[in-house]
Amino acid sequence: MSEESIFVSKAKGMYKTLCQTEWNATVAGLLVGLFSVLIMAWWRPWGAVGAIRNWGDWILYGIAHLTGAEWGIFGEFYDEAPRGILMNSSSVIGVGFLAGAFLSACLGNDFALRMPPKLELCKAVVAGILMGIGATFAGGCNVGGMYSAIGDLAANGFAMWLGLIIGVILGLKYIYWEMEHITWGSGGAKTLEFPYALKILFGVLTLIAIIWGANKYAEADSDYVASLSGILVISAALGYTMQRGRWCMVQGFREPHMTGNGKMAKSVALSIAVVAVGAAVLKYNVPVRADGEAVLAPMNYVRGTFGWGGVVGGLIFGFGAMLAGGCGTGTLWRVGEGQLKLWLVVPFFGISNSILTNYFRDWELESSGKLGKYVYMPDVLGYTGTLVLILAMMALWYLIVVWNEESGKLIVDM
Amino acid sequence: MSDFKVARTLDARGLSCPMPLLRTKKEIEKINSGEILEVLGTDPGSKNDIPGWCSRAGHEYLGDKDDSGFIHFWIKKK
Repeated sequence: MSEESIFVSKAKGMYKTLCQTEWNATVAGLLVGLFSVLIMAWWRPWGAVGAIRNWGDWILYGIAHLTGAEWGIFGEFYDEAPRGILMNSSSVIGVGFLAGAFLSACLGNDFALRMPPKLELCKAVVAGILMGIGATFAGGCNVGGMYSAIGDLAANGFAMWLGLIIGVILGLKYIYWEMEHITWGSGGAKTLEFPYALKILFGVLTLIAIIWGANKYAEADSDYVASLSGILVISAALGYTMQRGRWCMVQGFREPHMTGNGKMAKSVALSIAVVAVGAAVLKYNVPVRADGEAVLAPMNYVRGTFGWGGVVGGLIFGFGAMLAGGCGTGTLWRVGEGQLKLWLVVPFFGISNSILTNYFRDWELESSGKLGKYVYMPDVLGYTGTLVLILAMMALWYLIVVWNEESGKLIVDM
Repeated sequence: MSDFKVARTLDARGLSCPMPLLRTKKEIEKINSGEILEVLGTDPGSKNDIPGWCSRAGHEYLGDKDDSGFIHFWIKKK
């Protein structure tokens, strides 16, 4: 083989590794943890529900605006336009994440428009509504309410974590029941494939759009808008990594009880540990800095849902995510992959979350402490104690999962 | 590869995670040891989930093949 052809074959191998093969769960988990810390250091922790809610706000505002409806919720909450999809930091996280997932699905030849059977479409509507409700109670979806919350040293993340486990097991039991009893709606599936060359072209255009968008943001006069540049790029990296690794948190919660496989659960535990250490570094009040202030406001992403709100929210969200087949982020990267079931989950998730969040704010449920407490763990345990607790909980989760891989004790029988 | 003598075929096309794997798990109960179950699917995740489950459950994963718009999977029951 000539030297040139060796080089070409190695370049093809590199493309395959970076863009085509499924990334190992441990590598994906570490990368997600790294990007989560980077986005915090850039500006703020990330979540998925803020984007989905902003889109829900727009749908409801659009309905109010187009039909002139002023009754009920429309007059009360949706008479003014929400912050623009490309101007709201939460929404830009969602847009970047989708773009990254789409890029990965195109380059890796995973993208196709997949129309599911009718029953799955009905489940998508119910799933979206439940996930929107659960995320309101828990103060975020599986990311903002659990992953980023524990990572941000907020106790409410553990409340949702507990609720998610219960919700996912109940959801699994429901699916077993459904497979035995519901025969309706199994037809209607279709797949629309595109030539690989066209997908690569879409991928390249998406990459150019991400880079161009980030540069456009960076040129803005407003600090808020200029900061969106890094948000767009880092969230695209998160979307890319998660699609490439098929990194799905609800799978981490589900699989130990379904097949006993603990691969994803271990990866999620590792990833949370990475984020927690990163957040401790960024939130610690560094005495040697001139002003002695933390890089990231310590109360960032601490929600008043450490209590029944987090647990019940996690339960409802987990059950919904089982019907959807993806959590907050798992739903978004599957949208980028062309799974039309998840395309339907997102608007219903956004609408139910938007409406309920407005009512909760109106009734001051969170701020008056009715859902639970605001607990920044280092205030109670100190930074050492908090990190020891988080690492110990993740180690315990890891041990339970590997013990179950061998013993199968936690598998829910069909 | 498609010359297997298939005892049963499961059509899981259009279903997304976790349904293809759950249906496979249920369907394999309906065949005898040594027989082959064919699964038709469209979820890219199945290319990892099905072999992973086979090795855990002890079934032999015989392979997969892309067709027009879907994927064939073959599993030999333990």
